[in-house]
Amino acid sequence: MSDPRIAPVSRLRVLAATVAGLAILAGVLALTEWLRHPLPSGGSVAAEAAAPGADPRSEIVCETPVPREGIPRSPDPAVPGQPVGISSNELYDCPETYDRRAVSYRGEVVGAVLRRDEGAWVQLNDDPYSGDVGPLPAHRDFRGGNAGVGVLIPHSLADTIVVVGGPQTRGDILEVIGVFHRVDDASGEVTIIRAQDGSVVRQGGALPDPPLRDRQVVAVLLGLAAAAVVAAERVVARRR
Amino acid sequence: MLFRPDRHDFRLIGFYTGKVLFGVGLAMILPLVVAVVLGETNDAYGFAIGVALAVLVGRATEALLYTRASLQTSHGLAAVALSWLLAPFFAAVPLLLSGHYASYLDAYFEAMSGFATIGLTLTNDLDHMTRSVNLWRHLTQFLGGQGIVVVVLTIFASAGTRVSTLYTGEGREEKIVPNVVRTARFIWRVALIYALLGTVLLTAALLLAGLPPATAAYHGINLFMAAFDTGGFVPQSANVAFYRSPMVEAVLLPIMLAGACSFALHFQLWRGRHQELYRNIETRVIALSVTGLFVIMAVGLARGGTFVEASPLFRHGFFQLISAHTTTGLSTVPGRLFVTDWGVLAPAMIVTAMAIGGMAGSTAGGIKGIRIGLIAKSLRRDIRKVLLPENAEIVETFHSTSRRPLRDDQVRAAATVLLLWLLLYLGGGLLGLFYGYDLQTALFESVAAASSGGLSVGLVRPDLEWPLKVVYTAQMMIGRLEFVAVFALAGYVVAIVRGRV
Repeated sequence: MSDPRIAPVSRLRVLAATVAGLAILAGVLALTEWLRHPLPSGGSVAAEAAAPGADPRSEIVCETPVPREGIPRSPDPAVPGQPVGISSNELYDCPETYDRRAVSYRGEVVGAVLRRDEGAWVQLNDDPYSGDVGPLPAHRDFRGGNAGVGVLIPHSLADTIVVVGGPQTRGDILEVIGVFHRVDDASGEVTIIRAQDGSVVRQGGALPDPPLRDRQVVAVLLGLAAAAVVAAERVVARRR
Repeated sequence: MLFRPDRHDFRLIGFYTGKVLFGVGLAMILPLVVAVVLGETNDAYGFAIGVALAVLVGRATEALLYTRASLQTSHGLAAVALSWLLAPFFAAVPLLLSGHYASYLDAYFEAMSGFATIGLTLTNDLDHMTRSVNLWRHLTQFLGGQGIVVVVLTIFASAGTRVSTLYTGEGREEKIVPNVVRTARFIWRVALIYALLGTVLLTAALLLAGLPPATAAYHGINLFMAAFDTGGFVPQSANVAFYRSPMVEAVLLPIMLAGACSFALHFQLWRGRHQELYRNIETRVIALSVTGLFVIMAVGLARGGTFVEASPLFRHGFFQLISAHTTTGLSTVPGRLFVTDWGVLAPAMIVTAMAIGGMAGSTAGGIKGIRIGLIAKSLRRDIRKVLLPENAEIVETFHSTSRRPLRDDQVRAAATVLLLWLLLYLGGGLLGLFYGYDLQTALFESVAAASSGGLSVGLVRPDLEWPLKVVYTAQMMIGRLEFVAVFALAGYVVAIVRGRV
C-alpha cells in the first residue's frame, strides 16, 4: 500500500483533508436543499406521508382469504352485481375478492391513451397527486409513489379525454363503471378494469411552472466558475 | 504489517476519482440539452447546476492531486469504490432539484439505484416527472451498466493500461482483448449496436401499442437502457404493464437476456463462435436455472390458481422470471400481487432467480452463473472422488471461451464470494425484520437491492425508514462492485487509523 521510502501522511493532515472534503459535500448538499423546488416561489411544505394502505406491514383484510398453494380458490366467479366504489390499493390488496365484480373507479388519466381495436387502454391514477394535493413538483407534500389501475375503455369514452397527465400537465379525472378482472381472459392482462361506461368528471390542464430566478443565477455563476476551473486546469496541464 | 498510506496513495485515489466526477458532470449535459429543447426551464437550471458542481469538484480535484505515479491494484480498487460513493452524490443534484424527492438521501438512493442498475425507486409522483429528469434516471443505468469507469477509460484513452485495475474494480473480471482501452471500446461498440437495434424495435412495438411517435421514441430509448443495462427503471409508474402490449414484452425479453450475457460472450458471438453460447458454463447454468425455476414457478402459479390458462401464466410468469434472473427488475404485474395473489412458490423462485443473477462481466448482478457452475463442478468432482478408487486422478474441466481445468483456488474464491453474497442478502433482510416487515417481504427486498434484481413487493417506497434506505443503498453499491473494491477502500481507512509508519 505504501512505498517505505516516502513518508506517510500524518493523521492530522488526513483528518484535515477529510474534513475539507466533507465540507465541500455539505456545501453541495446545502446549496441543493436551498434551491429545491418550489422555493423560493412559495408552496406548502408538509411532512412526508404515505398514501393510505401503502405500508406493506398493514394487515390485509379481504372478504376472501389471500390465496396460496393448498388453499382452493372459490370455484364460481363472482356475479358482477351493483358497482362498488373502489380504490387501486383495495384492488391490489384483495384481487380475488373483487375478481369479476362490478366496480366504480375514479382516477387521473396519465401517460397516454393507447387506442386498440377492442377499445383504448388508459392508466387511471387514484393517488393523492390526482386529488386535492395535486401533482409534483408544484408543492412539497410528498405522498409516495403513484397508484393506479389500467382500464380498457370504449372508444367513445376515450374521445372525451382532452388532457393526459404527464410532465407539466394534470390529466383529466375519469370516472368509470366496469368489471374488475384479476386476470382478463381476452387480453391476458392482470388486475384491470373493463369499463362499459364513464365520464370525465374534472378537466385537466397545464401545471404552473414559474421560472426560479435564484436557481437561474446560481446556475450561471457556477457555470462560469466551472468553465474557469476547466480553463485553468488546461493551462496548468499544458505547462506540465 | 499494515503501512500508513503516503501522499502518492492519496493523490492517485483522488486523481482518478476526480476524473470520474468530471465524467459524470459531462454526462449530465445530455439531459440538460433535452430540458432546454423541451422547455423544462427549471430542470435545465437544475442540470446546469449539477454539471457545474461535478465538473468544478472533479476538475479541481484532478488539478490539485495531479500525479504521474503509477496506479497499483489497491489504488485502483479504492478509487473505484470512492467514485461509486461520490458519483451518485453529484448525480442526485438535478434529481433533488426536480422536486420529486423528499430528501437528499432519497435522491442519492435513486442515483445509486440507477448507477448500480438496481431499479428500486423512491420517486414521488413519477407520472408527472419531466422528460429530462426521467431521461437522467435512465441514463444513470446506462452509465453504471457500462461501468462509470469504463466511460472514463474511453474518454481518457491516453491513461491506457495504467487504469486497468479500475476496470477490474468495477466487477469486470476479464479483459476481452489484451488492451483494456480496446476492451472498453468493444463494450461500447456492442452497447451502441444493441442500442440502435433495441431502440428501433422497441419504438416500433410501442407505436403499434398506441403511443404517439415522439413518445414512443422517448420510451423506446429509456426502456432499452433499462433492459440492456439490466436496470429496471421505467418512465411510467405502472412499469411495463403500462403498455398493455405482449409485443413490447417480447422485444424486451431478448434485450434483457443480452444484457445479462458477459461482454466476453458477446465478443465470441461477434467473432462467429456461436457454439460458445451452448458450451459456456455460465450460459448452461443460467439456462438450467431458468428452466428449473420456471417449472417450479409454473407449478406454484397453477396450483395456487393464480392463472388458469397457460398463455397468461407463461406471459407473466416467464417475463417476471427472466426479469429477475437477469436482475433487470421490469415487471408486467404490480409488485403487490406477489404477496396478495402469487402464493409463495412463485415469489420464492423470483427471489432465487434474483439471488443467482446473470453472467460475470455483464451488467447483471447477483451471485453469477460462473460461481454456481464452479461450485457445482467441484461438488461433482468430490462425489466422483468418493465413488472412484482412491488412486484415481480426477480432472474436472469447464468451458469459458476455452476449456479450462477446474482449480481449487477458483472454487475457494467462488465459495467465498458466494458466502459474502448470502451474508449481504441476510444483512438487509434482518434489518427489514427489525422494522417489523414479514420474512418474505424483507428477504425479497433485500435480495432485490443487493443483487440488483430491482423487483419490489412495495417495501421500498418514499416513506421507508431511513436506516433501511441507507442499508439498501450500501447493499446496491457493495453488490455492484462485488465486495473487493469496497474492502480495498475500507482497508485504506483502517491503514490510516492503525497503519504503521
